[in-house]
Amino acid sequence: MVLGSYKTAICARAADPGILAKSQDGGIVTQLFAFALEEGIIDGAVVAGPGDEPFKPEPIVATTVAELLEARGTRYTICPNMSMIKEATRTYGLDKVGIVGTPCQIQALRKAQLYPMGMRSVPDKIALAVGIFCMENFPYQGLETMVEDLCNVKMESAVKMDIGKGKFSVYTERGAVSQIPLKLTHKFEQGGCHVCLDYVANLADVSTGSVGTPDGWSTVFVRTKVGEDVWGRAIGAGYFETKDIADVKPGLDLVTKLANEKISKNQKTLEERATFGVNKGLRNPYL
Amino acid sequence: MAKVVEISPTTRHEGHTKITMQVNDAGIVERGDWLSLTPVRGIEKLAIGKSMHQAPKISSRVCGICPIAHTLAGIEAMEASIGCYIPDDAYLLRVILQCANRLHSHALHNILSLPDMYLPGTDTHINPFTSEEPVRSVALRIQKLREIGQTVGEIVGGEPIHPSNPRVGGMYKNITPRAKSKLYDLAKEALPLARDHMEFMIAVFKDWDARPMASVANGKEVEKTEKFGFHDQGYMAVDPLYGSSSLDIEPRWFPERWTEVRPWDWYQGELEVSLEDAEYPIGGTTPVGTKVWPAMEACTGVPLYDGSPVEVGPRARLAMFRNYDRKGAMGLQIARQMEYMDCLYSMIEAIDAVDCSGSVLADEIPQGDGSLGWAANEAPRGTDVHLAKVKDGRVDWYSLLVPTTWNFPTVSRALEGAPWQLTEVIMRAYDPCVSCATHMMVVDDSKRVVAQKMFQ
Repeated sequence: MVLGSYKTAICARAADPGILAKSQDGGIVTQLFAFALEEGIIDGAVVAGPGDEPFKPEPIVATTVAELLEARGTRYTICPNMSMIKEATRTYGLDKVGIVGTPCQIQALRKAQLYPMGMRSVPDKIALAVGIFCMENFPYQGLETMVEDLCNVKMESAVKMDIGKGKFSVYTERGAVSQIPLKLTHKFEQGGCHVCLDYVANLADVSTGSVGTPDGWSTVFVRTKVGEDVWGRAIGAGYFETKDIADVKPGLDLVTKLANEKISKNQKTLEERATFGVNKGLRNPYL
Repeated sequence: MAKVVEISPTTRHEGHTKITMQVNDAGIVERGDWLSLTPVRGIEKLAIGKSMHQAPKISSRVCGICPIAHTLAGIEAMEASIGCYIPDDAYLLRVILQCANRLHSHALHNILSLPDMYLPGTDTHINPFTSEEPVRSVALRIQKLREIGQTVGEIVGGEPIHPSNPRVGGMYKNITPRAKSKLYDLAKEALPLARDHMEFMIAVFKDWDARPMASVANGKEVEKTEKFGFHDQGYMAVDPLYGSSSLDIEPRWFPERWTEVRPWDWYQGELEVSLEDAEYPIGGTTPVGTKVWPAMEACTGVPLYDGSPVEVGPRARLAMFRNYDRKGAMGLQIARQMEYMDCLYSMIEAIDAVDCSGSVLADEIPQGDGSLGWAANEAPRGTDVHLAKVKDGRVDWYSLLVPTTWNFPTVSRALEGAPWQLTEVIMRAYDPCVSCATHMMVVDDSKRVVAQKMFQ
């Protein structure tokens, strides 16, 4: 069960070329939220909007498709989306909130729904939670070092960053591509990511990521009834192009392989932590 | 000779209180004391040394029914002490909060008062929890009004209870245009409901007032007296809706007119209960032979304004600012219902006036030089005065004069002349909220405790 429980797995991409033009892969999150907004399934969504510095996202509450489009694309650094979830129901006055997050953020979301400490009247307003695949994340300074020092690209001139096929790639606005082996980036990872046992956002309504499908497409897991309903309606309305996941290369095998890798690697960290120090170990956050 | 009877504890209000009365042979109260038994909270002591931002948040935790009033009064007392003026939009947001608080609190109080009342035209007490009409739809209407009040409080204040958004210097966040239109819709939705509800409640209270005989819920019917629940005390209110503070050009409350008497100098001395009614709901009155000592048992000081107890609350507001003049317990109840519309229209006006892109935080927040500042907020149940001295951003001194503290001695006066079996109806008409009303420690300027007695 390294991929969590899901009802269907699909290979998909957004049908709107406008979304695909600047999306990371298949534009799934943007397209799904845009559909949900237009259909009134959500009133707004907490997404990683543009921040003060290049590739430094800030959580925003997007209530229009234009705002969603601003938030397209992956920025490999931290964006505390959960910090806006309460605000979305308060000063923004939303009744049906969508949220996108990494596996850990979706865990936090579900925990908040289960034990709403300081989250009064928030749990019932979560209408759609979209999770994204995540191997690890980088602090902004780490990302800056990787891009500016290792890839020799000024943050301001980068237009896209991508992790795939064992490489971290930076694309510049002048068309250059700078790549470094993923191995070099490991030391910049967040320590906290090394205890996480969730690769594919097991608790989300819908989770998505690039792994397992060809370039420009995304793997989508539809996990819950809510997810199934929204996804089914979006497909019905022609918002996504889909392919059978069994027909595409490298397929779910690669997702499973990477999920296993993450889990076994981080399991090792957890075991090391358990015996760290004198006579007492560090707590396993999963127990 | 007068007999002593005691209802302890009293029910259907917030907090723990009792009524100790001396009654004549006809059962009419000759001297009555209504006193708080709620343990002392100590908020004023906790606040000392805390930052001026934290202290109002602590004081708002004193209660969950009008935390908005305590937050606003506390924050404005700090602002008054440091001399900080807030932007207009922040003020408007606070007005919206104030209205939301009053709306939900008045509606809640209806649930507590209805069981004593009769369905007009019948002799049936109203059970607000019944599934039968017409009471069912009244109860649902109350729920809806409360829901709207709480939701407005949640959007503007950040939390439905204990609002997090107000701060010294204004508010943390303005609302978005979307939230503004949601608030407007909610207020508009509440408007017709509140109008119907007000009319129903006023009819119910007038019906009760006109009856020759009445009882509390499940109690024995007794003959009512003329001038039921009348008292001759004055009124104190600072504003029909919001409040006043020492920053105002013309302040409407005056700290120098306030004095405080200690309970052992005010309430009745040692008594022995000599009249008992085992049938009185719920569980009978205090058994004959029990020793009581109101003067030592009371947990509140007795605040006086111009040397005399005063009434605060809806009737005080309407009497001082709208020439309202209906006396008695039902006069107060009716005044409360009349505030529904005012509070919704004011809410709508304030929502209309808020500029969602305006700044809600003062440009400069002084840190205070230890001068006295006070803010009086018209909480649902009366004037809630907070006084504070802030020096270098820390609270040096803090005092709360809350609505029900003002009302305790006034209610005690209003009990006189009523049949003792109906005294709870009078007390409930004041919408008592006792947990915040309880504080008892007398200190002099050098912080030396000059009066402290043993509490039973």
